[in-house]
Amino acid sequence: MAAGVAAWLPFARAAAIGWMPVASTPMPIPPQDKRKAQDGLIILNVSGTKFQTWRTTLERYPDTLLGSTERDFFFHEETNEYFFDRDPDIFRHILNFYRTGKLHYPRQECISAYDEELAFFGIIPEIIGDCCYEEYKDRRRENAERLQDDEEMDMSNDVTPVNLTFREYLWRAFENPHTSTLALVFYYVTGFFIAISVMANVVETVPCGTLPNRSKEVSCGDRYALAFFCLDTACVMIFTVEYLLRLIAAPSRCKFMKSVMSVIDVVAIMPYYIGLVMTDNDQVSGAFVTLRVFRVFRIFKFSRHSAGLRILGYTLKSCASELGFLLFSLTMAIIIFATVMFYAEKGSSATKFTSIPAAFWYTIVTMTTLGYGDMVPKTIVGKVFGSICSLSGVLVIALPVPVIVSNFSRIYHQSQRAEKRRAQRKTRLARIRAAKIRGTNAYMRYKQNGLLIDSLEEASKEAGQALVVKAATPPFESQHHHLLHCLEKTTNHEFVDEQTFQANCMEVSVVNKAGSRSSSLSSSPHGLGSCCSRRHKKKSSFSPPSTNNQELSTIQIRERPVSNSRASLNAKLDETVPLKCDESYITPSMVSLSAPVVTSADEDASTTTAYSQSNIVRVSAL
Amino acid sequence: MESKRVETVSARVDAAAAVSSTDSVEDELELSAVRHRPEGLEQLEAQTRFSRKELQILYRGFKNECPSGVVNEDTFKDIYAQFFPQGDASTYAHFLFNAFDTDHNGSVSFEDFVMGLSILLRGTVQEKLIWAFNLYDINKDGYITKEEMLDIMKAIYDMMGKCTYPVLKEETPRQHVEVFFQKMDKNKDGVVTIDEFIDCCQNDENIMRSMHLFENVL
Repeated sequence: MAAGVAAWLPFARAAAIGWMPVASTPMPIPPQDKRKAQDGLIILNVSGTKFQTWRTTLERYPDTLLGSTERDFFFHEETNEYFFDRDPDIFRHILNFYRTGKLHYPRQECISAYDEELAFFGIIPEIIGDCCYEEYKDRRRENAERLQDDEEMDMSNDVTPVNLTFREYLWRAFENPHTSTLALVFYYVTGFFIAISVMANVVETVPCGTLPNRSKEVSCGDRYALAFFCLDTACVMIFTVEYLLRLIAAPSRCKFMKSVMSVIDVVAIMPYYIGLVMTDNDQVSGAFVTLRVFRVFRIFKFSRHSAGLRILGYTLKSCASELGFLLFSLTMAIIIFATVMFYAEKGSSATKFTSIPAAFWYTIVTMTTLGYGDMVPKTIVGKVFGSICSLSGVLVIALPVPVIVSNFSRIYHQSQRAEKRRAQRKTRLARIRAAKIRGTNAYMRYKQNGLLIDSLEEASKEAGQALVVKAATPPFESQHHHLLHCLEKTTNHEFVDEQTFQANCMEVSVVNKAGSRSSSLSSSPHGLGSCCSRRHKKKSSFSPPSTNNQELSTIQIRERPVSNSRASLNAKLDETVPLKCDESYITPSMVSLSAPVVTSADEDASTTTAYSQSNIVRVSAL
Repeated sequence: MESKRVETVSARVDAAAAVSSTDSVEDELELSAVRHRPEGLEQLEAQTRFSRKELQILYRGFKNECPSGVVNEDTFKDIYAQFFPQGDASTYAHFLFNAFDTDHNGSVSFEDFVMGLSILLRGTVQEKLIWAFNLYDINKDGYITKEEMLDIMKAIYDMMGKCTYPVLKEETPRQHVEVFFQKMDKNKDGVVTIDEFIDCCQNDENIMRSMHLFENVL
């Protein structure tokens, strides 16, 4: 029931007096209005913009935030108003909903901002009025598509899972040629061979001069029959191999075989095999010639290589009804005009309009404004109807064309938007990454500063002086950093930034290759190695899932001698080292171990291993 | 004085209607542009038994639903139908409309609305009974005939809709009318006059009690 009508409830109840005299049974007791709430004005302060309304207006919808006691949480005693720290522009629409019972969606607002406000105030979006509902749903769908696109990108591009089976790997290589160089090479090779094959088919038919013992010209195909046959064979070999590989790699073979592209593939290579099988029988050679026509379908294999072609095909598919209408109306018009022309020209002598089907040709040529001129009406009536025919032809063809064009334009722009989103995604991810690195660096600085301040405090306490603290970080940041620090202490690991981590990985793998003699070292770097190979996408080595997963969970705590011959990569940590000489130093890398020891590339590997052998204490991680 | 004021109000509306009666298309535009403004708050306060605040609340609700200031019969039926979604409230709303539209000009203004409510919610039992009698007396001739009563009864039962328990039968309204007439029609002349009606109702405890039912509605 609309809220506005609720105001008329007293009237409806009063009018019920009219039933009383005719009532056959006594009436029930009316409900007691327990809280005789004063209908007062409520002030709603939304980020400084003051809205006022009656209390009863808000209470029309008791299952929303404003209509229930939930709003008491936002009551501000000092100013005797309800304060909400939200967007006042969107709040205007929400308040209007209480007033009029209809929720509107403003077109210029962002859909996610609007949704958030609705969710905050406890209003379900389904009650948006009819006037704005379509727009709202459209925008919501676009937003969802965008999010879904992002997710798909994430899933397909980011992680190269180690444990792909060969089959899955093959399928991925076929679908996204950019994943590996081999796939890319294969992609271009097939494209090249498609082009070669199509050109060969075309050149085959060109007249190539005369043979010495014949008088008439022969086509190139007949003259160099063997060459063309070899070329054809090579192309078909490649296509067959490609098709079989795709068939093997497809996750769902039935679905793959029913897909359009595979049908095209089959149709492209079948004529060759049928030609091989068939003998030079005269009766079937005619059919064989027909089959050669199907070789031209190889050109459709290019649609895997061209997105524009795919869009065109998709457009035609989606405009099927318009095309059907065009065809139907043309057929109708053709039949009508052919009949008329036939009967109009029946009288004239030596006329070409021998039958209605014969007149079809004239009608089609005229309606499409081709006008070959091989069939021309001679009678006046025929000419009159012929002109009407050509005029109407223009109209009938022009009508469905804009629909098809607009469909194509819409789909094309959609794909362009997807491309743009993909391109922007890279910059967006880069931005996110940069922000993360900044955060990590800030944290590192905090830690250094913290320890520095600690030492300074100690020093100043000893010296008996007060410590002057420099301009501190804002309280939020310092609390956040303290939290991260607590986490580090809990897990006994430390945060490092990405470069340091990757550098550590590289160094470890270097040492690994150098042949670590120490058994204790062998397992852990290997574990690191496998984790690094996950990070390094360039490496195409899909190392088998190592048994070192167990080792990965162990960490190695070792005594850290004060050694200044560390590599510059750990320079930051170096500064902190002298302050904590007597504490056991926890290895800084997230995934265990030997990083600090092996980062010194200049150190002798043997001494490293010896050192690590002596000082390794294995502790299971939490 | 009341009638005079009512006359001036209706004269105003009539004048507006007369001016625009020339052109049919412009007619609708003009009529819809006519905004009816109610009498001042003090006058209404004097004429009804509502307090100032109550009048304010009533007017706000009224104006919200009918921004033009008057309710025509279709809007009235719409509003009333929203309270009875299962059945068809249009016939009863029609009778109600006629009962509220005391000056019979085809629209219920705020004054009519508030007058009617004043009687129903704050009036004496006598006034309420007279109002009910007016409601039943469709042609306002001072007598309730069986046909009029049957119409009213059917309208009331229509509001119930189809899904009732026990199932509504065709002759239920008629039987109800018979019962009513047996009770009300003392001299058995086939019609119920206002005195018979009031007398009978005042002797019936149930009806007396129910008259006070909706007093605290506002």
